[in-house]
Amino acid sequence: MIDAPVVKLLPRNVAALRKGQDAKDGTRLVTGNPISTRLESGIGNCFPGLECDLRNLERRFFPCLEVDVTLNEISVVAVDLAAAPAAVKSGYLSKRSLPVLKRIDASLRSGQTWQVDVLHGDLGPLGKKWRLVIAELGPVTTGTRKPPPDAWTAIRLLPEGSKLSLTVRGAHSREAHHLVGRRARYLDDQGALAAAFMPGEMTQSLCSPWTHDFRDCGCFYWASNHPDIVKPPLPADTKAGPEWNSAVPWERSDRSLDKPPARATDSDPTPIEMDHYAINQRWQELNFVLGGREQVQPYTPEELSSHPFATRAELLAQLRYAAGVELGVIHEYLAAAFSLRSPQDLTGALRQNVTAAHAELMRIAIIEMRHLRAVNDVLRSLHPDEHFKPALQIAAKLPGLDPGTFRPLLISQADRAAINAFIDIEKPSSSVDGLYSQILATLNNQGTVDQQHAIRTVMAEGEDHFETFQFIREWLSPHQEAQYLRRRQMTVPPKGNEDHQALQEFYKDLLKDLYTGYATGFPEGGEQVNKARNLMVLPDEMQRVIGRICAQGYLVAFDAIKDPRFSPVAPP
Amino acid sequence: MSAAPPLEIPSPSAPAFHRFRSALGEHVLVVPFSRIYDLEDDFSRRIDHEDHDALGLMTALSTPGTGEVPLSRVPLPAPQSISLNVSSSCNLGCSYCYASRGGFEGAQSAVMSWEVARQAVEKVIAGSDAQGPVTIGLLGGEPFVNRRLIHRVVHHARRLGLTHRRDVRFSVTTNGTLLRDSDIRLLRDHAFAVTVSIDGGAAIQDARRPLASGARGSFELLRQHVSPLLENPGSCKIAARATVLSGESDLKQRFADILALGFTEVGVSPLRVARGANRFADEHWRGYLAGLMEISTAELERARNGAEIRLSNLSIALKQLHHGAASPFACGAGGGYFSVAADGNWYACHRAIGDEEYRLGDLGGLDARRREQFLLKRHVHAQTDCQQCWARYLCSGGCHQEAASRTQSSCDFIREWLDFCLSAYCELSAARPAYFGRQS
Repeated sequence: MIDAPVVKLLPRNVAALRKGQDAKDGTRLVTGNPISTRLESGIGNCFPGLECDLRNLERRFFPCLEVDVTLNEISVVAVDLAAAPAAVKSGYLSKRSLPVLKRIDASLRSGQTWQVDVLHGDLGPLGKKWRLVIAELGPVTTGTRKPPPDAWTAIRLLPEGSKLSLTVRGAHSREAHHLVGRRARYLDDQGALAAAFMPGEMTQSLCSPWTHDFRDCGCFYWASNHPDIVKPPLPADTKAGPEWNSAVPWERSDRSLDKPPARATDSDPTPIEMDHYAINQRWQELNFVLGGREQVQPYTPEELSSHPFATRAELLAQLRYAAGVELGVIHEYLAAAFSLRSPQDLTGALRQNVTAAHAELMRIAIIEMRHLRAVNDVLRSLHPDEHFKPALQIAAKLPGLDPGTFRPLLISQADRAAINAFIDIEKPSSSVDGLYSQILATLNNQGTVDQQHAIRTVMAEGEDHFETFQFIREWLSPHQEAQYLRRRQMTVPPKGNEDHQALQEFYKDLLKDLYTGYATGFPEGGEQVNKARNLMVLPDEMQRVIGRICAQGYLVAFDAIKDPRFSPVAPP
Repeated sequence: MSAAPPLEIPSPSAPAFHRFRSALGEHVLVVPFSRIYDLEDDFSRRIDHEDHDALGLMTALSTPGTGEVPLSRVPLPAPQSISLNVSSSCNLGCSYCYASRGGFEGAQSAVMSWEVARQAVEKVIAGSDAQGPVTIGLLGGEPFVNRRLIHRVVHHARRLGLTHRRDVRFSVTTNGTLLRDSDIRLLRDHAFAVTVSIDGGAAIQDARRPLASGARGSFELLRQHVSPLLENPGSCKIAARATVLSGESDLKQRFADILALGFTEVGVSPLRVARGANRFADEHWRGYLAGLMEISTAELERARNGAEIRLSNLSIALKQLHHGAASPFACGAGGGYFSVAADGNWYACHRAIGDEEYRLGDLGGLDARRREQFLLKRHVHAQTDCQQCWARYLCSGGCHQEAASRTQSSCDFIREWLDFCLSAYCELSAARPAYFGRQS
């Protein structure tokens, strides 16, 4: 997170006071935390995690109850009585459970302990109507209806909102009660973590590894700022050849710097790595890692090599084009995402891989929508003193791999060629990233911190997209294209296709709402932007039409619009 | 009326802020929108060392807030204020008169007729914005030479104000020597803003402002005719305005002499444009500034002790700084303000009667294109020598009529005077917040 300057500016006159009280300034636009701080890039698992412990999501699985979960024990920690009336009202808690919760709450306060003995409920893929005796759960499961191996897995399998009843018992008494309700939701209506979770709850049980724990842990368990596979330190005096760019184990026992270290392997810890005893003895010999490479010399950040644009007019034109490029890739990624078969029709690994590919394509498309907004925010901030016109014209061509080259828009099914094209366009230091590098270089000279931060975030997320598309390629590679695509050769719906026409009308409305919202500025324009967002996400709007187009086996595509606010824009 | 296209935004290298100190400590003026902040020492050093984040914050504070009009705009409001040049002659013969006693070097040879005055008043009231007041100013020559017209205009405008539901206000600039009881009653009853032209005590006034015949005695005439109004102003507001000629160094004494007549507010103004040797040259500004600051220092001391500030140059500057006055135009000329000549032509400014460039319309209406061109040319962003000046939205390039007399020295005077006022504002607003009323 970038530290905001901590300053005390005391307004002296009315104009200064007015600015401080301006709602427009109160809602300062925030570009968000760097990608490396987000949940999706953190080490979050159940061992526990290093940056987020996912087990905590199950601590509040039953409404108004907070529990601790071990392998075959669920202990009640606290009762949230204040939330109970709302839970009853929403149908998540039975009215009969209220006095039980009150009883448990009073008992806990007097020092008694309570635990969940029996759980009745649906276990998602394991089937409906299970009766699980928690104490009997064990690592080995047998039989036709194999039960989950532990209490946490059992809870994790409960679908949100499914009916559920618990038998709770005082630990040192025969007193037992039933609690009836529904499996609590993870997220609220806005998509944020449900209000039941307290700040810090997701990180309250992180792993604090001892040095020699690292000797045994797999790659996925290492903190993102502390990789176990790195590039070796560059030799000081010689020109480093490609052998210095190979991945090597960070905790290798040979610490010499004059020759490239032995490469990392995917076998178990090998003799080239320190053993448990050595890693404790020689911890201080392990090098700092920055930018994926061990550093043994004072670190100098790499300078941005891109040249700034010569004039402000050029910067503005390139920013408007960048917004168009964002719109262009949104079109490409959406067409690809909706060309994948519905996971419901698939099974096994194919189902999982297609689910993941679709989810990631949609996630990236949505992030590109945020980029569109970010670029418009930067443009607006560069026009403090005159009319700002939102940049919502789609790029007629997208940047190619080499500087100065362009390629046409690729509205295609998500076949291998398309995924490769997506990898190319998100490739660091070329294509779109090259365009933003020049924009950033210009803003580094004459822009504000917020403008620079906005563009840096766009670039960092582009790098994440580059990696994610490589993952998508990997996930889909074991399968034939025909297995995961709706059709091998998909086309835009023919002229006169009613659903396609309806989609175009939705899209025009969406762009008009965005245009009005962006032109108005924030917070006032937020209402229009939300309107545009609702068009996309509400089930009865665009989603319904898109579903019908998919069912017909056509590509989800958006036609060029004549309105000069939205018509295609050529590269400057 | 169509909006003029917005001008180019200021060059990014134009200063967005101005640092200054007062007895309270360090401050910054954010140049656009004239926002004034107290600074902690550490942050003031960060600004002075051009710390990137600190400069970014200054830039962020330079943007318009809700309800603030971008400073690059050329607003074309409905005219809310006119002056009527009701007379073309004067009973005094001041050598430096911009209007050459009302005749404007022959451009205005006749007195204004009732018909011209009536049409002008009706036009401005009918076309005005109901949200703001309408001001009718009366100028000359000496306006009370045409006393009958003044009385008639005031009564007619008052009636029109009632029928059109407008808040009509009046102002007059007079030498005060012709005021009669009936005039005084008119001024009192209609809450006039009265500006009396007087340059100092008897010796100065008689020498600088002789009678038209060349005889001395204007001071005594003024004293006799203005005293009843000063003693009982009713609802009117009276201020004295003194012209300072080049090399005059007795500001303090003249200020005291004018106050001794019973004025509670005195403004001084240097003679920048005139024929002959009396106009200010580069070497005169420093002495003038010293005189202005000497009076101001004493007035600020009075203000800290609960009294009003009597030097209007200072009191107006402090009031404007308090509210954050910031404009790309030095006055309303051609925007909300026009001056109507005796022949019915509408000029952007009362000092420019007869000047073709300033003639933007007549009783038939305003020439929209000429008006736009006039304003575009005079916007402070269009003034090359104002582009890099931190005082650009406070001074706004100064009086259009005096633009040609702008020199490095005269601009340095403006900046130093504003620096003085900025510090004074911070100190007085801390020592006596009530002077500025409740901040809202």
